[in-house]
Amino acid sequence: MSSLDWIVLVATLSVIILYGVWKSRGKQSMESYFLGNQSMPWYIVLLSIIGTQASAITFISTPGQAYTDGMRFVQYYFGLPLAMVVLCITFVPIFHRLKVYTAYEFLEQRFDLKTRTLTAALFLVQRGLSTGISICAPSIILSSLLGWNLYWTNLIMGGLLIIYTVAGGTRAVSYTQTLQLLVIFAGMFLAGWMVVHLLPENIGMKEALQVSGKMNKLNVIVTDFDWKDKYNIWSGLIGGFFLALSYFGTDQSQVGRYLTAKSVKESRLGLLINGLVKVPMQFLILLIGALVFVFYLYFRAPLFFNEAQLARVHKTEHGAALTQLENEFNSLSTTKQQQVKELAVALDKGEQTEIATAQQALQATEDKAQHVRAEAVTLIKNADPAGDANDTNYIFLHFVVNSLPKGLVGLLIAIIFLAAWGSIAAALNSLASTTVVDVYKRLYKGEESPEKYVRMSRIWTLIWGIFCIAVAQFASGLGSLIEVVNVLGSWFYGTTLGIFLVAFYLKKVGGTATFTAAIIAQIVVLILFWMEVVSFLWLNAIGCMLVLALALVLQPFMKKTA
Amino acid sequence: MQDKHLQEEKPPLFPTWNYWYILVVAWLALLIILFYCFTKTFS
Repeated sequence: MSSLDWIVLVATLSVIILYGVWKSRGKQSMESYFLGNQSMPWYIVLLSIIGTQASAITFISTPGQAYTDGMRFVQYYFGLPLAMVVLCITFVPIFHRLKVYTAYEFLEQRFDLKTRTLTAALFLVQRGLSTGISICAPSIILSSLLGWNLYWTNLIMGGLLIIYTVAGGTRAVSYTQTLQLLVIFAGMFLAGWMVVHLLPENIGMKEALQVSGKMNKLNVIVTDFDWKDKYNIWSGLIGGFFLALSYFGTDQSQVGRYLTAKSVKESRLGLLINGLVKVPMQFLILLIGALVFVFYLYFRAPLFFNEAQLARVHKTEHGAALTQLENEFNSLSTTKQQQVKELAVALDKGEQTEIATAQQALQATEDKAQHVRAEAVTLIKNADPAGDANDTNYIFLHFVVNSLPKGLVGLLIAIIFLAAWGSIAAALNSLASTTVVDVYKRLYKGEESPEKYVRMSRIWTLIWGIFCIAVAQFASGLGSLIEVVNVLGSWFYGTTLGIFLVAFYLKKVGGTATFTAAIIAQIVVLILFWMEVVSFLWLNAIGCMLVLALALVLQPFMKKTA
Repeated sequence: MQDKHLQEEKPPLFPTWNYWYILVVAWLALLIILFYCFTKTFS
């Protein structure tokens, strides 16, 4: 990075930290620390919800997803608006009416202490570990691309935000997320504009979209039903609905965001407008990836976007074979550069036969290039079994670092940090609130002074921050970290959602039946995963359905006791 | 009690929250239709 990039990066991060510290001033109570005195307007709630969900990986990985697989990933979010409606009808009014600090408090009022404690414990384990991995994932990519030390990158990625999160609690988290998102949106817009600007003179947005579409990267809607296909309209609407309902309804990192609203009305507005803007927002981020694909048709792409990984393989006995593949890939890239120009000319003329011929020629060369890439991936796996053979997460940042002008590179790197900070800060705040409210206050210390609770809340935010950084320092050897986060979530989300659905919709089922059902379901889910019976994505649905079914079956036997 | 609480929380722009829920679902449906047209136009 250039000096200008470093100045932009350090200045942007410093402004956010100072803003967070400034928002932390004033005397705190537990209500202000965890609920922001329930004073937030809907637009702060909205930006906070978006900032919590959109992690660093969202902005790193999503354009890469469009580059490799097209824009159909957007369908994954189709269930989210529907989940927002269900949340506003059911969850939000209940949480507000009961004036809870955490979602799990509601479970004691509906069931009993043991069900509340179990659900809170499941959340703490899952969120604590996955936050640590969320720190590590972008750090690995940045350290690999820019040659930074991984341990220091982890420390900055997970450490600096602790300053304002510990001091200011949820209010500092919400306001910094707002500022962070404004910077992120501005930076992503500039990046998208630059992709088109960097294309050859005669290629504008319309031509870029036409080329991208002809190469099947604008496949936004896939209507074919296939159980094994992750991204089609049906899996998006049904699977995405349950996933979003579980995440926004039972994960304290999100519940804690909309509980800060000054009324049910403000919470609802924040969530519903999230339902309106989330899908278009993901569409636009994916569109950047589809345009980056066009950019790399006109300008040579590397054989593998994680070039540090390539360099390691070059030093092994497989180096000569890799060089041969690189030469083959470069030759195909030169052919593609010529063919894409011919396709653009044909599209400009509007001659369908000519377009079809040019498209087929380009697609055939692209298929050959993808075949060479697949061979390179196999070679990388053989040469370095512990290395990362998936370069999707490196595509967008490779473009940023190598193609964008000075200054903008620093801003885009700052965006990765800000996106990480937004979601990590909300996670630390929710981990602390659950620990203090559901464990410390409820189980160990009944009544203490408000000052003592605020002090304990700050101490626990700090402890969770240190814990997550420690997890990050050990997580780099776990393979695909995104998948590890998803697997961790799938272990617990199904059971947790099942408990809440019993609470809301099965009014005759009591605490002991639900608790027993949840324990059995959790054990079954872990056994199913261990025995590799189903793909981990199915564990969400299985865990949830098991809790519902077992609670109904067990309840008649529990009537006398619960 | 809950109904009274919710009556005090009238939504902006519309007389009831149901209109907001319909708006969100209708917006999703419109987006899916637009995305479908987008896919077909550029494929």
